[in-house]
Amino acid sequence: MRVVVADDSRVMRQIVIRTLRQAGYDWDITEASDGAESLQLAKDLDPDLVLSDWNMPEMTGIEMLRAMRASGMDIPLGFVTSEGSPEMRDQADEAGALFLIAKPFTADTFRDTIDPFLA
Amino acid sequence: MSASIDMGVFAETVFAIADEVFSAMIDGEPGGLIPAFEPFEVPADATYAWVDVHGDHPGRVLLATEHETAMLLTRALLAMDDDEPVSDADFVDAFGEIANVVGGNIKSLVPDPGPLTLPQVSPLPPTDQAELLHDAQFIWRGRPLAISLWSLP
Repeated sequence: MRVVVADDSRVMRQIVIRTLRQAGYDWDITEASDGAESLQLAKDLDPDLVLSDWNMPEMTGIEMLRAMRASGMDIPLGFVTSEGSPEMRDQADEAGALFLIAKPFTADTFRDTIDPFLA
Repeated sequence: MSASIDMGVFAETVFAIADEVFSAMIDGEPGGLIPAFEPFEVPADATYAWVDVHGDHPGRVLLATEHETAMLLTRALLAMDDDEPVSDADFVDAFGEIANVVGGNIKSLVPDPGPLTLPQVSPLPPTDQAELLHDAQFIWRGRPLAISLWSLP
């Protein structure tokens, strides 16, 4: 399974990737450092899943998701973000996100949230 | 922010938030972070990390600790050995992300908050005319660490 992990923090990308492995997901992962790079990778790689931070420079995660959907890309996307307010969850849902995982997270959080979408 | 957040709730909740962040991301188990029994002053050799919340009630969440403690936090976050070298970029990135995650969770206590800024890290505290609302003091691995909430003009 090919996955793009987008976060402007290299440290956080490492932690997300480490936690995915701890959760048992042996995925082919490509990293993106902002929403614009992630959007381009989505076009180029046609990944099976995008895991994205929300608050990033250049293009935010929600802007990237809306741009993907506006251009006809239906690649599944989940947010992994430090904010998980009901308003943001509503925005994510309306834009077509699969889920929103609020930081901090654990391997159990990833499994509990992501597994239902892999079935 | 002071008009929109209950300081009693904040004082009770900030430890729960910080404990969850440290347990999940830094220590891998609960109990690494405890409330300070005695008040302390932020040391001269300190590092600061903060995020601001824009909107009708602008505020700031500020972390302050000794530089060496911030380095240990960085290594713990990156699952590095305690004596492993840390690049400046990783240090700023990691310590800023701790502020970002703590701040993002504290932001959830504010009704109708605006956007969260990207984190900033500095050896000096921010210099604008912010008003201190609450200073929560902790001990992590025997070292002092403060998380404070500020109201911005």
